[in-house]
Amino acid sequence: MNDTTILEAVDLRKAYGHGLQRMPILDGIDFRVRKGDFVSVVGPSGCGKTTLLMALAGLSQPDTGEVRFRGQPVTQPPQGLAVVFQDYSRSLFPWKTARENVIFAMRDTAQKTRQERRDRADELLAAVGLKEFAQKYPWQLSGGMQQRVAIARGLASESDLLLLDEPLAAVDAQTRADMQDLILELAQRFDQTCLLVTHDVDEAVYMADKVIVLSRRPTSVATEIPVDLGKRRDQLATREQPGFLHARHEVMERIRSYRSQMAG
Amino acid sequence: MTRALLWSRGAVSLIFVLALWQAVALSGAVPAKFFPGIPAIIDGARQMIATGELPRNEILTLGRALTGLVLASVAGIALALLSDASPFFDRGFRTISSLLQPVPPAAVVPMAIFALGLGIKLYIFIILLVSIWGPYLNGAAALRAVPREQILTGRMLGLSPAAIMFRIKLPAAMPQIFAGIRYAAAVSLIAVVVAEMLAGRDGIGFLLVRKSFSIRIPETYALMFVTMFNGVLLALLVNLARRVLTGWHVRQTGASK
Repeated sequence: MNDTTILEAVDLRKAYGHGLQRMPILDGIDFRVRKGDFVSVVGPSGCGKTTLLMALAGLSQPDTGEVRFRGQPVTQPPQGLAVVFQDYSRSLFPWKTARENVIFAMRDTAQKTRQERRDRADELLAAVGLKEFAQKYPWQLSGGMQQRVAIARGLASESDLLLLDEPLAAVDAQTRADMQDLILELAQRFDQTCLLVTHDVDEAVYMADKVIVLSRRPTSVATEIPVDLGKRRDQLATREQPGFLHARHEVMERIRSYRSQMAG
Repeated sequence: MTRALLWSRGAVSLIFVLALWQAVALSGAVPAKFFPGIPAIIDGARQMIATGELPRNEILTLGRALTGLVLASVAGIALALLSDASPFFDRGFRTISSLLQPVPPAAVVPMAIFALGLGIKLYIFIILLVSIWGPYLNGAAALRAVPREQILTGRMLGLSPAAIMFRIKLPAAMPQIFAGIRYAAAVSLIAVVVAEMLAGRDGIGFLLVRKSFSIRIPETYALMFVTMFNGVLLALLVNLARRVLTGWHVRQTGASK
């Protein structure tokens, strides 16, 4: 391991069920995420992306293999790692306002006064463009706004690594493009390494420095495709660059080969 | 729909019921002696207020119902939390709860008098027996139904199982628990009046039996109206507590209408 690796999956294996019912989900997953990188994970549907994410977050244990975060084996959710879930309407606390939701995620509450925590929460809400909505409850906000609150909450835990579990799957197309740019901007500004799980190939390539393509279940890493487009992305220009089109083509081709295998 | 409109609607339907009552009483379809009109009933109530027996017994009954309801709610929530935390307890208690739920309070009162005497212990016991299930069953179901993402969010923040229980699951379950408490409030009033009727020393239930056995018809009806009033009063109190403790949910469901 070199010292810029922040997250590492080593031969992760996991199966559900026993005996004849036994179904292997993860079949030897290996990859590394370097500090400061934005990595996308894509794969054919039903390939165990959620199972993988749960293992990476320390929320479930693999049968064999290991997840290492900053070089330490992950056996429970480690400090410095935050998850933004797909279903924002179920992950935010409806009895708390946007500000209270963000404050809830602050870990070092003992060292901060009430006012300091409030100010920090408002700062994070301003960063996701919700300055005026701090006092609103999640159910008073649109889907895109709720997901922004969830992202602000992820940042509030002072993480270095954000695991994003299909965070934009449930928002409309226009909001989606805005949110992609917002997430990229926040990753830079708050110095976050990001691992984005998505089923959208265009999104995976647009956001990432590296795309990890997963195979069909039982899942392993099919290939890793670097995306050399620099840190600055633009919804129009980036998507027209040859590098983007090339990476997109390769990812698509891989995933399509699994789909046609399934059909055949 | 505005609140004023809802209130006036409630008032209109109350007046309608009273008018219908009075019309039946005046029509002669039922013997007037056994179905007095509203003025006679009001007069009966006034007499019981003048002698002091209505206020004295009303305070006793309301006090018992309210104490019992608060204890049943706290105990029901505590059992629901235990059920959620321990599958072992949940299994065991589920059997006990399905055995106890169908027991009618009237069947238990005579034995309970011997065991617990005629004091507040008797009433608390009877109310617990019938009122605990609303908060318990609703609480246990609601705790099980807390979205997985909310619990995982707690785990990602390194919260202990106890912190997840009290800071995430319990607040998430509160609205449904209150639905159970609202039901328990009505049941606790019935239970306390039944127990008073059988235990026979004081309270609205006792007064009801005494008045009907001495064929004081208007007073008997007046006392029945008092039990209805008590139901409304207790429901209002529960609603007040609900607004204080889960105001967010009251507004959420209000906003979606």
